[in-house]
Amino acid sequence: MKVYIQGTGNISIQNTFDHSGFPEPVWYNEPYVRCMDPDFSKFVSPNEARRMSKVIKRAIATARKCIADSGIEMPDAVISGTGLGCIEDTEKFLSAMIDNDEQFLQPTFFIQSTHNTISSQIAINLKCHGHNNTFVHGGISFESALFEAFLLFLDNKIKTALVGGYDEMTPSYFKILDRVEFWRKKHEAIDDPGKSTDLRICAGEGSVSVMLSSEKNEKSYASIDDMEILYQPESIKSSIEAFLDRNSKRPEDIDLIVTGMNGDEQNDAIYKTISDDLFGNKAHAWYRHLSGDYFTSAGFGLWLTASCIRQKYVPSFVSLNSFDTGNLKNVLLFNHYKNKNFSLILLSAC
Amino acid sequence: MTRNVLVTGLGIVSGIGISVQETLASLLAGQSGIGAIKYLQTNHKDYPCSEVPLSDEQMCSMLSIPRNIPFTRTSLMGILAAKNSLSHAGLTPHKSLRIGFISGTTVGGMEKSEQYYKDFLENNTRNDYIKIHDCGASTEVIADYFGGFSYVSTISTACSSSANAIVLGANLIRLGLLDCVVAGGTECLTKFHLNGFKTLMILDKVNCRPFDAERAGLNLGEGAAYIVMESAESARNRKADVLCKVSGYGNACDAFHQTASSPDGKGATLAMQSALEMSGLKPSDIDYINAHGTGTTNNDESEGTAIMNVFGNSVPPVSSTKAFTGHTTSASGSVEAVISILAMNNGFLPPNLNFKTRIEKLSFSPVSKLVSGVKINHVLSNSFGFGGNNTSMVFSKMR
Repeated sequence: MKVYIQGTGNISIQNTFDHSGFPEPVWYNEPYVRCMDPDFSKFVSPNEARRMSKVIKRAIATARKCIADSGIEMPDAVISGTGLGCIEDTEKFLSAMIDNDEQFLQPTFFIQSTHNTISSQIAINLKCHGHNNTFVHGGISFESALFEAFLLFLDNKIKTALVGGYDEMTPSYFKILDRVEFWRKKHEAIDDPGKSTDLRICAGEGSVSVMLSSEKNEKSYASIDDMEILYQPESIKSSIEAFLDRNSKRPEDIDLIVTGMNGDEQNDAIYKTISDDLFGNKAHAWYRHLSGDYFTSAGFGLWLTASCIRQKYVPSFVSLNSFDTGNLKNVLLFNHYKNKNFSLILLSAC
Repeated sequence: MTRNVLVTGLGIVSGIGISVQETLASLLAGQSGIGAIKYLQTNHKDYPCSEVPLSDEQMCSMLSIPRNIPFTRTSLMGILAAKNSLSHAGLTPHKSLRIGFISGTTVGGMEKSEQYYKDFLENNTRNDYIKIHDCGASTEVIADYFGGFSYVSTISTACSSSANAIVLGANLIRLGLLDCVVAGGTECLTKFHLNGFKTLMILDKVNCRPFDAERAGLNLGEGAAYIVMESAESARNRKADVLCKVSGYGNACDAFHQTASSPDGKGATLAMQSALEMSGLKPSDIDYINAHGTGTTNNDESEGTAIMNVFGNSVPPVSSTKAFTGHTTSASGSVEAVISILAMNNGFLPPNLNFKTRIEKLSFSPVSKLVSGVKINHVLSNSFGFGGNNTSMVFSKMR
């Protein structure tokens, strides 16, 4: 079974929202960066916008963009992934509760604090009564949402789905996660973007929506042919081999691997091993130096991969080695979180 | 070709018991778990809640967890319930089994974060709790206590989280991607939830009265429940006792308002209809409905309307068991799935406690007294969350 990517919407720390191709990369020197936001008034009324946190406004904007891009007005399902959900409103409610000793609290921040507010607000905006779900499994949240959509397609329960990865950054959330070295290495200036594998990348945030369909047409970016989510596999190398095998593919059939490399040694070791051992280090691309690192960066990875396949072109600023970028048929998107959770997504040109 | 999904183990921890046996006994005795707050440190102790009758220390000791390892109450309750479900099923997770763990939660490790938030911001003394704050990490603490799971996921759809966890688990088995799944959810009481629901003015100061004309809100509860599901082949190979079949489920979105249900109960109607359609059953085949029935003015009227939409003039016996357990939020879907299966397998209709007067707009009254000695072949369980995340599940007796 194939599921087709029919449309995308991407608000990121790059100029991705109003751009149909690959925007000129912007390199940052800050420890964390917030998104380049579009004018939200086209998507939500000023009245609604006042009560909505950034993550919600962005999700609605990228969902709407997906609808326009794909021509699919009403998806059969809305499924989202988010690591920390509406963290800004959660922090506001939590701080007020602590500072005011559980008194004088307003309901708005509580109402909008739950992770599923994002999927719900998209559904309310679209008036979509279909299957609606929210996955909140750390750095694998986006792929977990995509996986459920894939299952529903496999089961013939849906013909279209709007899937997204949404996370927002706040100063205190950056600081708290920095305490536990979540952002791994301290940020340093980027001198040689796209080439140096040990460059350090910033923490980020983003909102990526994709519209999926069981049918392809001239709008199709790429197809998702299979995917798998694994928890603590005994050997990820054998798991990848088995995954390719069940798709009647050998490693040499894969024209490009796109990984969740982020410049951190512990994080990147497995990507390098797999790239060298299985794929002969021939065509390897990355995206976290563009998207920034956050729980659902993999959404940006899928957007980038789908865009590369559709345009039959891999920009030099995402490739880690030199290869023939015009011949993209099969691509493996490979991500892991803390060397515990792994996701494999096999994509191909339509 | 899809496969049947069978239930072979139940585990439940709530205000009415810390095992399946205790839960069953409380349901039959009409014994509610709602009372004065004992464990949660809050200024709002005047709101009755249903707490799990164990301290964190007692749970650690029961689970042989050293006290110096950081655990949240949510994870401890989750481990206890998951352990009960696995031992009921006679199953030990192992990589060779293709077994998954799927859990629902809304606020993850918030119970510790709300105590240590100032430390999180200002110093390094509580860093271990930062690591287990997010929902996914909260689930992994439970999964890693057992080890052996090859798929682990976390769902957050507010008060239908654990129902959606069961739905995903069932799908993975149906489609042949996993052979066994432990699915459900866990959520302990937090000041965050208590204050949040208080700002919405939907907490009752006395014991909740679901489906009563005079109902004035919900009582919060805490709990954890998991069910073990497996394919027929897996159950046969292990010679497991089969408790029932997961025959259908539906997930729909009300798409009406972030915290209110639509007056016509659209999302709830669609969820029940699609669960029935998938099960291949007619509305008249359903012998009992375990309603979401929170006791809020809005939910019960909207849900009741939806039940009337689906069942017309022949509404089967309905009850909400939230006056027993309180509203266990994320865990309520799996808590009530377990209660529904217990009712079916033991042939009784759990009473909707504290009911006196029918809601004028509804054509039916809930079951107000325990009815035993009834034959239940199919039970429908409803779970609805903020944001209109509505999920219904049908469990059926094995023939």
